[in-house]
Amino acid sequence: MIAFVRLYALQAAAAVRMSFADRANFALQVAGMFINNAVFLTLWVLFFAGFKSVGGWGFADLALLLGLMMTIVGLCGTVFGGYRDMAISVLRGELDALLTQPKGLISRLLARESLATSWGDLAGGIIVLGLFADLKLADLPLLLVALTAGLTVYLSAAISFASLAFWASGARSFARDLTDFTLLFSSYPGSIYEGAVKVIAYSILPAGFVVMAPVEMLREPGVRSVAVVISAACGYAALAAGLFHLGLKRYRRGASVA
Amino acid sequence: MTSTHLHSRSVEAARAASALLSAFRLGAGQTLAGWPVLVGRCIFYVILLIVLSALWDKVASERLSGTLAGDLPPGGLALYIGVTEWITLALPAVHLKLEDDIRSGGLEPHLLRPKSYLAQTFSQSLGAAAVRLTALGVTALALLAVTGREPPALEAFPYIVVLGVLGVVVGVLLYALAGLMAFWARRTLPFQLVIQKLMFLLGGLYAPVTLYPGTLEGVAKASPFAAHLYWPSAQAIAASWQGFLTGLAWQGLWIVLLSLACVRLWRAGLAKVLREGGV
Amino acid sequence: MSAVITIANLRKRYSYAKRGRGLLGGFSLRHVSIDAVDGVSFEVGRGERVAVIGPNGAGKSTTLKILSGILEPTSGEASVLGLTPWRDRKALAYKIGVVFGQRSQLWGELPARDSFNQLRHIYDQDKAVFERRLGEMVERFALADLLDQPVHRMSLGQRMRCEITASLLHGPGLLFLDEPTIGLDVTAKAAIRDFIRDHARDHGQTVLLTSHDTRDIELVCDRVIVVNAGQVVVDQPTDQLRKRFLGRKVVTVLSAGPQIVVDLPGVTRRASEAHAVVLDVDTRLIRVEQVITAALAQGGVEDITIEDPPMEDVIHDIYASALAVR
Repeated sequence: MIAFVRLYALQAAAAVRMSFADRANFALQVAGMFINNAVFLTLWVLFFAGFKSVGGWGFADLALLLGLMMTIVGLCGTVFGGYRDMAISVLRGELDALLTQPKGLISRLLARESLATSWGDLAGGIIVLGLFADLKLADLPLLLVALTAGLTVYLSAAISFASLAFWASGARSFARDLTDFTLLFSSYPGSIYEGAVKVIAYSILPAGFVVMAPVEMLREPGVRSVAVVISAACGYAALAAGLFHLGLKRYRRGASVA
Repeated sequence: MTSTHLHSRSVEAARAASALLSAFRLGAGQTLAGWPVLVGRCIFYVILLIVLSALWDKVASERLSGTLAGDLPPGGLALYIGVTEWITLALPAVHLKLEDDIRSGGLEPHLLRPKSYLAQTFSQSLGAAAVRLTALGVTALALLAVTGREPPALEAFPYIVVLGVLGVVVGVLLYALAGLMAFWARRTLPFQLVIQKLMFLLGGLYAPVTLYPGTLEGVAKASPFAAHLYWPSAQAIAASWQGFLTGLAWQGLWIVLLSLACVRLWRAGLAKVLREGGV
Repeated sequence: MSAVITIANLRKRYSYAKRGRGLLGGFSLRHVSIDAVDGVSFEVGRGERVAVIGPNGAGKSTTLKILSGILEPTSGEASVLGLTPWRDRKALAYKIGVVFGQRSQLWGELPARDSFNQLRHIYDQDKAVFERRLGEMVERFALADLLDQPVHRMSLGQRMRCEITASLLHGPGLLFLDEPTIGLDVTAKAAIRDFIRDHARDHGQTVLLTSHDTRDIELVCDRVIVVNAGQVVVDQPTDQLRKRFLGRKVVTVLSAGPQIVVDLPGVTRRASEAHAVVLDVDTRLIRVEQVITAALAQGGVEDITIEDPPMEDVIHDIYASALAVR
């Protein structure tokens, strides 16, 4: 297990170094994304100045949501950056070269790229969590649980969507879209979702488990809320692994579209 | 000017117009050829509106006293957002096209032709936008019919359409500015993101700028970003002839200013390319 | 013959900053200059078909870019159809056609027909004249089936035929071609060469082409300008050049046993290893067929390759002989 983590760390570090290579470009991208997030946050500050609450969610709650989301997206993009274009890799038949190597196909796919803009997300997320989310030091352990679980769900969702590419070539941009929709759903106070929309947000586009359930866990910690978050993470991870390996079997049989 | 001079000038103008029209049709054709992407965009629009109207309906239903929520018009602001997103999603990624052409030497074939690359590209982008505006507009109307939500007043529609189209023109010019930075910067994405966020903030993507505190409201209304989003969308909440004229005036002003800025940037960049053979 | 192109002492210097190495290297900049074109002068008359050849980095493409107006020279003068290219770029554009072998000027996702129509408007072409020209070229190039196909789905050969058609639709009197046959198979190359030559002859068109392929020169052009390191090294009619340099083939013979020996007039042994021999064949003195027959007669031949001599060798020979003549 440790060897696996170390191997992954090496690959990811190489990808990070590659994204650093052009320093001016890197700085520009990070700064741009940071400003991007700052403006987004300002919109919400203005909103809550005028509206005070949305279905029981105040500004601090939203800041917690956004902070979690930005940190999760930031971590995914920097350390697991290959997730974004996974569907494209499958469709281009790029797996062939990787399949001949001994282990860890998914991890190789994830580690192969690091997105410069995600550092801006990461930095922004940490600042928002620190300054606006109304968290105390005692919340730190639960925060780490929230981040880990949320990241697992988000990544698993992305991998599941990308796995669609094993079955349909139109999945290329669709997988990216689905991941973006999940992000979209995760960016608004969960209290607004009702009925059918709420079902979707807690299942197919699991925004509910990426951020909303973790936020509730942090606001109202308890055995139940923690259990929900952790089991959701495990569930989605299993789903992603299962879908991917099913798809891989199909690919190996030569039945996949390329 | 002699009459022959005038005649040759007008022939020249007619020819330039015909080339621009042809470019417009080309842009429209290209977008139609990529119809799966167009459909995806419409789906995204629907999902976005579902989420955002859920937000606004929730806020409107709360009507907390002492907050702006208490003052919201009936139907909340779902219609407002319908128009802002209609315009936003119709914007073609002209900054990417410019970046691609400028950085990969793709300008060369265009420089070898007698027509202005900038004008042709602009026209092509508007053609693409026209198709998107139509597709998204039809989607919006269908969504209104299906959800049974009350539509804007009938007299608002021509205002929305005219200001909306001009709003897209302003948006394309703003993105073109970002794209032209490719002469000097490797990636235009940061510039485009900043402009986009200013569009959201000062253009009032999620809420009309009238809800902003005093000075910010003034600044926003005068900005090109409001010309892009706010003025067309405000008609969806309250249709008014005066609002239409004000919006038209701001859009006219900004279209002129932004066009001049684009031309300036283009000429500087072009001089660089002609001197150095590339970027 | 009136001069269509006149260049005098054309120079193009590229300067760029080279970063030093290491962490602090970012702060030390060395300025490096390259003279891509270093004092080039020549004239091209109406109706001439001229090839500009040379190794990579010789300055061919740079010269072409300057002549078509998309690059400003550092110094020197040029006149193309009476215009200064970099000053009168748009006016010149109406009168010239340009084809880049490696860059498409068509709109990829759309059918070829749409690209042609767009160009009609760009060049202000009268509809009737345009239709007639297009019709001629569609027939000549067998494009009828391709007109409604998106350009990006075409093979390279098909695309090049469309590119050349596109460059001629406004009836330019001067055609610039930058590596027009690069990457094409033998049949496609032949089709394009024939077309360019015949079209130019029929319409009195002046042609300036750059290429790495010596057959492009032999079959299309009547004059060759050789450039090397930014300077003109040779400027001669193709006939003369052909007599001295272009009638060569390189034959490589691989054998299972000992090296094959072919001792015939016109055959020179170039290089050899244990089981391979490289022969230089002067095709004016002996046919390649005879060399091959002689080789096969010895038995044990595993593989035979017949190639044109590399451009660098041709240039080198040309240059060397040019020096010797002086």
